[in-house]
Amino acid sequence: MADENDNERMDDNQKSDKMFTLKKWNAVAMWSWDVECDTCAICRVQVMDACLRCQAESKKDSYGKQDCVVVWGECNHSFHYCCMSLWVKQNNRCPLCQQEWSIQRMGK
Amino acid sequence: MSLKPRQVDFNATWGAIKETIRGVITLDHVPRTVWNDRFSDVYSLCVAHPEPLADRLYAETKQYLIDHVAQLLERVQEDGEQNLVKNYFLYWTQYSVGSQYLHSLYLYLNQQHIKTQKMSDAEIIYGSIDPNVATQGDQMEIGELALQVWQSNMITPLGHRLVKLLLEAIDLDRAGQPPKIPIEAVRGTILSFVEVQAYRKKAQLQLYVELFEMTFLNASGEHFKRDAALLLQERNVSLYMEKVKGKIEEELFRARRYLHSSSLPKVAHRCELHMVAEHLQFLYSECNNMVKYEKKNDLSNMYDLLKSVPNALVVLVDTVFDHIKNQGLSAIHNLQGESIHINFVENLLTVYKKYKSLIQEVFKSDQNFMGALDKACNSVINHRANDGRAPCRSPELLAKYCDTLLKKSSKGISESEVDEKLLESIIIFKYIDDKDIFQKFYSRSLAKRLIHQQTQSMDAEEAMINRLKQACGYEFTSKLHRMFTDMSVSADLNNKFQEFLSKDKIELGINFGIYVLQAGAWPLGQAIVTPFALPQQLEKSVQMFESFYHNKFNGRKLTWLHHLCQAELKLGYLKKPYVVTVQTFQMAILLLFEKSDTLSCKEIRETLQLNSEQFKRHAVSLVDSKLLLADTEEIDEVETNLRLNLDYSNKRTKFRITAAIQKETPHEVEQTMNSVEEDRKMYLQAAIVRIMKSRKVLKHNLLIQEVYAQSKVSFAPSVQLIKKCIESLIDKQYIERTPHSSEEYSYVA
Ligand SMILES: [Zn+2]
Ligand SMILES: [Zn+2]
Ligand SMILES: [Zn+2]
Repeated sequence: MADENDNERMDDNQKSDKMFTLKKWNAVAMWSWDVECDTCAICRVQVMDACLRCQAESKKDSYGKQDCVVVWGECNHSFHYCCMSLWVKQNNRCPLCQQEWSIQRMGK
Repeated sequence: MSLKPRQVDFNATWGAIKETIRGVITLDHVPRTVWNDRFSDVYSLCVAHPEPLADRLYAETKQYLIDHVAQLLERVQEDGEQNLVKNYFLYWTQYSVGSQYLHSLYLYLNQQHIKTQKMSDAEIIYGSIDPNVATQGDQMEIGELALQVWQSNMITPLGHRLVKLLLEAIDLDRAGQPPKIPIEAVRGTILSFVEVQAYRKKAQLQLYVELFEMTFLNASGEHFKRDAALLLQERNVSLYMEKVKGKIEEELFRARRYLHSSSLPKVAHRCELHMVAEHLQFLYSECNNMVKYEKKNDLSNMYDLLKSVPNALVVLVDTVFDHIKNQGLSAIHNLQGESIHINFVENLLTVYKKYKSLIQEVFKSDQNFMGALDKACNSVINHRANDGRAPCRSPELLAKYCDTLLKKSSKGISESEVDEKLLESIIIFKYIDDKDIFQKFYSRSLAKRLIHQQTQSMDAEEAMINRLKQACGYEFTSKLHRMFTDMSVSADLNNKFQEFLSKDKIELGINFGIYVLQAGAWPLGQAIVTPFALPQQLEKSVQMFESFYHNKFNGRKLTWLHHLCQAELKLGYLKKPYVVTVQTFQMAILLLFEKSDTLSCKEIRETLQLNSEQFKRHAVSLVDSKLLLADTEEIDEVETNLRLNLDYSNKRTKFRITAAIQKETPHEVEQTMNSVEEDRKMYLQAAIVRIMKSRKVLKHNLLIQEVYAQSKVSFAPSVQLIKKCIESLIDKQYIERTPHSSEEYSYVA
């Protein structure tokens, strides 16, 4: 990844008596929505994937970047934003705990 | 001469005309002045006063021609049967030319008198009137009249005798004997049957066909049958085909020499009927051998002969199909060793290319054979061993083949060769039924190439994905595209992170870089994350990045995939400094030796909290590389003590310890296959929702058909699986059964 800079090379020389010098670390991490349950209870698709309706529409622009984000309620339950916005039109309660639905935060 | 109508003495004028006609019709010398005078005479009779004498002129001319032809008929027969054809041709040549001159002499009569009473061409061509009858009562132009007189007064009495002689002459030619009648006379006589009716607007070939051609074809048919029977006695298919091909060519040559061109296809057809179509079983008897030993010449002959007979090619096509299939299966049977994937793909390509070029060369790229090649490749490539119980390995092997080409390590082969090979791998790809399984394996290896920076060239990667997209459509490659997107998003994140660090003047103490991958897009699997106590040297980096990341995004969590991380470690305890690239777990093990030269495996595991499998894999790789030394032969995760090898040396000062990464474990293969099933359900559900959303209401069978059509670019779903997905969507209230019928669904908006 990033090249070592001159500063570091100087450091190396100073610490050359050390047995092990960790010069570089190329880390790999995976991000996912911070949710209690991986699956959206409404469409039963993994929240990391787009909801069923968005998949059916298969948006062909912007190379697979789906705008199908996750929404958390005050009850801390989470769903696809698409799924929940259709749901609340019928019933303004969380499908999992029946509490009045109000949005705590949105995924970004 | 005067153009003014006047009284004319018919007998005197006709007498003069008659004298000239004789000269004209027999091609005697007619002086120009005489010709001009007669030309005027015809005119003056046509416009004569008080009434035109055209009809009388016509009647007298016709009678004259009848008498003239009657005389010629005598003369044609004068020298006996052996000279009949020669004489006929002689007088026909003279008469047919003479009658054209005569036609010109009667220009005025033809144009002014006869044209006006003639039926329009359209009436003759499209009317239901028989052309033989149509001209009978009416007057004809003089040239046509002359031909008609010849037909009824020469050909009618003499025709059958002529035809008999003509057939004898052709038979003599077939037998290779010298001609008794000049070829020109035979041909000229045969063609006279056409020429004598050439003026007709319709059924011009009627006389030729009825008088001559039918008889000729029947006689030839008998001849072909006898010839075939004779050739069959040798019981040699190869020879028979050569001879028959020669025979057809020879007969076509003969037909071109003697007959009207319309007869050529008929002659060929008769020949094929009696020499090919009637002996198919005989020809088929050698089919297997010719295909088996790939006798190109024989196969080419066989193709040429059989293609003329309707449906006769089927047996040859089927034999070729079986052969290619067997060759293909044996090319990939029992492959052993490290490079199975390479042998598999390249052997198949060899078979494919070989038979494609054979079909192009021998069967002229005939669609039937191209179809057989496709069918054979399809059944070889999707073949399942053990009577279909074993899974098909093609998707996996092909993906591995692509990986080998796209990976950095493929040495000794140029970029254009790599590109060529990747292009060819699409040939195999197109035949694979379960393309989604290929996609799974392909994305696995792509993920590894990207994460471990083993990609040879991004251009080659993108070119390959574009080829797959072209073959299967956008959806097929969308997850692959998401992986590329993550790579560029990560590059951006790294820059922003560095800015963030320098703004707050934070030192990590190491050169830190990261890939942040979107879960779900990468075929990595959560299960792979195992417990690990992070070495203190890395803690700051992880903490700083996490806080940077959470600041930037909402509702996301990061899972560190340590088994995929790599570190560069500088070793300062040896005779010279080395830089070694290791995985995070290997690095963590090595770092523990900073405090002590010898450690027990038990200690290491407890400190790092590694599970037994992870520990073993990495400890073994370090011992194998000789950086560490073990005091037991086999590494036991409790008993064995590990010691830092202080005498380690390596020619290279920079190296990598790779043994424990990259290998595709059987477990991973199994996992890949299992996730395919889940993905198929998802794919089908999305397809059903898409179809129902646009159709609103659809019958069960039509829905199944459409879903099948949409998904077959990627895999062939079973009806049962589609039904399962329909049920699950009814469950989730995306669709419902309509009130009228349980076999009909409607979309729930
Ligand atoms: Zn959902
Ligand atoms: Zn959505
Ligand atoms: Zn709730």
